[in-house]
Amino acid sequence: MSLRVLNPNAEVLNKSAALHMNINAAKGLQDVLKTNLGPKGTIKMLVGGAGDIKLTKDGNTLLKEMQIQNPTAIMIARTAVAQDDTSGDGTTSTVLFIGELMKQSERYIDEGMHPRVLVDGFEIAKRATIEFLEKFKTPVVMGETPDKEILKMVARTTLRTKLYEALADQLTDIVVNAVLCIRKSDEPIDLFMVEIMHMRHKFDVDTRLVEGLVLDHGSRHPDMKRRAENCYILTCNVSLEYEKSEVNAGFFYSNAEQREKMVAAERRQVDERVKKIIELKQKVCSGNESNFVVINQKGIDPPSLDLLARAGIIALRRAKRRNMERLILACGGEAVNSVDSLTPDCLGWAGLVYEHVLGEEKYTFVENVKNPHSCTILIKGPNDHTIAQIKDAVRDGLRSVKNTLEDEAVILGAGAFEVAARQHLINNVKKTVQGRAQLGVEAFADALMVVPKTLAENSGLDTQDVIISLTNEHDRGNVVGLNHHTGEPIDPQMEGIFDNYSVKRQIINSGPVIASQLLLVDEVIRAGRNMRKPT
Amino acid sequence: MREIVTIQVGEFANYIGSHYWNFQDELLGLAEEPQGDPVYKSSSLNMDVLYRSGETSQGILTYCPRLLSIGYKGTLGSLSSSGSLNPRISQPDTLEIVTWPGNVTRYTAEPREKNIFLQSLCEEGTANLTSNVADQGSSHPQRKITDKERIECLENGVQYWTDFSKVQFHPRSLYELHGSWIDVEKFDNYGIGEEILSAGFQSEEMNERLRFFIEECDHIQGIQFIVDDSGGFSAIAAGFLEDIADEYSNTPVLLYSARSPASYKLGKSPKESVSRALHDAVSFSRLSSCCKLMVPVGLPSLSRSKFSSTLFVEDQKLFHSSAIYAASIHSISIPFRMESHGVNAESLYISGAMDVGGMVQMLAGQARQNMITILDSALPAHFLNDANNQSTILRSLCSLTPEIEENNDDLHSIESLIVHGAFSGGRRASISEVEKFIHTEYQNELPRPKLYHLTAASCPLPIPLPFPSIFNNRVGRLGELSTTRLIGAERRGSLEVESIPMAARLRSSSAVKPIIETRLGSLRRYGLQRGGFGVELLRSWGFGKEEVEDMGEALGKMMMLLDPNACGASSDFDSD
Ligand SMILES: Nc1ncnc2c1ncn2[C@@H]1O[C@H](COP(=O)(O)OP(=O)(O)O)[C@@H](O)[C@H]1O
Ligand SMILES: [Mg+2]
Repeated sequence: MSLRVLNPNAEVLNKSAALHMNINAAKGLQDVLKTNLGPKGTIKMLVGGAGDIKLTKDGNTLLKEMQIQNPTAIMIARTAVAQDDTSGDGTTSTVLFIGELMKQSERYIDEGMHPRVLVDGFEIAKRATIEFLEKFKTPVVMGETPDKEILKMVARTTLRTKLYEALADQLTDIVVNAVLCIRKSDEPIDLFMVEIMHMRHKFDVDTRLVEGLVLDHGSRHPDMKRRAENCYILTCNVSLEYEKSEVNAGFFYSNAEQREKMVAAERRQVDERVKKIIELKQKVCSGNESNFVVINQKGIDPPSLDLLARAGIIALRRAKRRNMERLILACGGEAVNSVDSLTPDCLGWAGLVYEHVLGEEKYTFVENVKNPHSCTILIKGPNDHTIAQIKDAVRDGLRSVKNTLEDEAVILGAGAFEVAARQHLINNVKKTVQGRAQLGVEAFADALMVVPKTLAENSGLDTQDVIISLTNEHDRGNVVGLNHHTGEPIDPQMEGIFDNYSVKRQIINSGPVIASQLLLVDEVIRAGRNMRKPT
Repeated sequence: MREIVTIQVGEFANYIGSHYWNFQDELLGLAEEPQGDPVYKSSSLNMDVLYRSGETSQGILTYCPRLLSIGYKGTLGSLSSSGSLNPRISQPDTLEIVTWPGNVTRYTAEPREKNIFLQSLCEEGTANLTSNVADQGSSHPQRKITDKERIECLENGVQYWTDFSKVQFHPRSLYELHGSWIDVEKFDNYGIGEEILSAGFQSEEMNERLRFFIEECDHIQGIQFIVDDSGGFSAIAAGFLEDIADEYSNTPVLLYSARSPASYKLGKSPKESVSRALHDAVSFSRLSSCCKLMVPVGLPSLSRSKFSSTLFVEDQKLFHSSAIYAASIHSISIPFRMESHGVNAESLYISGAMDVGGMVQMLAGQARQNMITILDSALPAHFLNDANNQSTILRSLCSLTPEIEENNDDLHSIESLIVHGAFSGGRRASISEVEKFIHTEYQNELPRPKLYHLTAASCPLPIPLPFPSIFNNRVGRLGELSTTRLIGAERRGSLEVESIPMAARLRSSSAVKPIIETRLGSLRRYGLQRGGFGVELLRSWGFGKEEVEDMGEALGKMMMLLDPNACGASSDFDSD
């Protein structure tokens, strides 16, 4: 029996205290992430106790690095991270929006309003906002040949919130081309078919798109060529190493001769497999200038490597599983699991295969392929934390392109949507609502403004001036966003500032759900208890 | 040469590993020492089995363990997760950020100070590099830290497993798990580990790092895997082991599931006890289902075990207890790195080479079909001809596996015994002497195991400086046991004891029955009772009724194989 039942007053007290705790936690998290937002946000450098460095401009990475203990804050952080997992962007905005919903609610609650009423208002406002989003969105047609310009604008908008402009613009082309490369009509886009590789290198601008594949290992034989043109590619998952079979564990052999025999027999089996590969090589390469490359998911032991090297074949072992699929998409052919039915049709093709060595790190480039449906973004940067940050940005960029292709719509950015949605809620929706739930709608509408407000704040502008001039323009019927240089209204369409439709939609959906749970704090606790009770 | 890759998952596993690699590092150092004991120079043990040669990005040649260590974020102490090879960025506060022209906020955590031991290690490193220069202008500003101080600082305050490690790790060896805002204190059950693994790219990253170490192996013989299975790490390990079984299906895994004495603290509430019991059951059945040979180790108390006749272990110090397990695991791994010269090959320094696959096959693959094995250890091992010219090594072995039957007389047991560095009559015993003595001892042993394999090596276990002072004053400089107390310190460590002879044994025996029985019992009692707290709990860990039943079935089968006559016995557990 817990104390709460014995002392009902304690519960009331607890409830209000818990509510304020929730509000404060939400505000606290908002404060930490606020400065991250937008193209004028602050980058964060986290230096660990042992000197490890993390660099991040996005809310997602920052949240994951933070040691959050407050359960409310954890709940918000989970929502924000989930936002990123499903739509690839909008973490910071999610945290800001939830924080602001709580902040706006606090005012009303302090005046004695019951959270339930606010929550009802949120629900109405949310539905109205989603409806409004449908009308507000800019449809884009993505048929066989998608509008590359619009894809670039979306990618550029995202990337410029993470990296300096020149690098962002360079990566814009890279991510758009990468996604278009792997896209197949009528199939969902699988971003895993874009490999992201990195290499330490002085200049980040040497980051590039490799149409083909980069593997993070090289051949393991000194006599194998380090560079070859016109290559047949055999992608396989066949063990080319001598493995002691169960019965052949040396221990059980009373006599050495018997053991030697077994070993020899097993070795022969492996050699047979290698020979089949060599035969195929001879078939396709004799009398021409072409080369032959084996990329194997399983191991290849030194005797097998010797045989292959002597036959002029380049061989890589222990390729990662996912690269088997990527290789086929990049080079053609098929992945074989056995050498018994090898035919030339199994083989893929690449114009160039070469090795690049950096200390003990080796890279194998499989390039100049014919009709690639898989590619590699090779990120270069001077140190690990820079590489990691660029990698995060590239992932965001890829997601934004994929989203645009799938959404077939984009949303005007720079705060334009938020201002428009607020005006719609205040001018059109609020009056259709009965009673005090109106205030919930108003709180929701005001909370949306956290995005343009924070964008302005991060740009060092006067928030109130900015908000007034933006809302005035909207009242005049002009859809405008914030020019973060001047604070003047701009047309995001003209400037090419677009956000993803699905990202916005999810923010609008999940924000009020979490805020409502936090406001109806007693119900949360009860729900939590129920889970543990035997039913 | 056939490579072994080592994987350590979880806190206690990393403590054990830390000592384990200190032993290896010590052996490497002793082999190089010009005036050193020749026994280390001609050990005939090939370190390349455990180590890899490489090169840093600055072109410096390296020799590092083939190791993947997985731990919770923040448990590396003063060591950077990128290892000790890359130079630390000296002033991160002034580091230029090339990717962002706008504002920067820096959050700098309080730097973790290196303890005296690590500091002196660092200085030694730089001193070696600049020794030529230093010889001339020899004005040593810093006071030399004495060995005694170094040892004391470890006895008084090891907080992380890295605090006493003298090994250089490869940048890919240390992987820190991010648990999105999970309280480390609550990281104590299977479910929470599962949760972490499912989030993000972590298991992919673990697999990629392992692939890096395996790709460079010409002919890997096996994976040596140590997991701290007292909490969430067992789920991490189980997931990882599943991927390994998938990707490297022919590579045998020798799994040590380890527990520290601290993990035995009782649950406060009945619910906690149920949770613990179910964790143990689930962890055991999941881990055993995805490896070839499993060795549960970790006594609730070493100070109150038979080991207390030679050792003074403070149970609350992980630094202490982990050293015992590390020493024993080291011994078990000796046959894996002997250069094999065919079946009957004799050597002056070694005999009884076996690879991981051979060991697994022998212990788990025979008629017995039991893959849960017991680790016994003698630390130090008795001298071969004690008082009456007889070996007492077998009798001096004590189990490091908890919950086993003490006086089990299984006639079908199978054993693999490793004896190294043994003495006989005041000098190191020759390999043939060791063999003779042990075979005789086995002849007189009752009951005798159905099958045993003996590995002997001349090289003892060297005691590195950061080894804890846990020997009592019966243990002499070379690990000899005297009947009278030696004068000097009560607790003897690396300053007093240089090396010790060791014996360790893996034993496949029906004595493991209680381990399985208890876990099967917990599953039945709490895991299958409809509407019970246990069922809910298991569900929240991701196990539905069917999975729990499958686990129970697998454990039941294990029991049956150990004891075909008593198949009905376990049904007792159905009723409460
Ligand atoms: N050039 C720009 N001018 C003004 N606002 C911009 C510009 N580029 C992006 N934004 C806005 O920045 C916000 C996204 O910022 P970002 O830091 O990526 O946060 P989130 O994690 O929420 O995606 C969006 O509201 C977007 O419209
Ligand atoms: Mg963004």
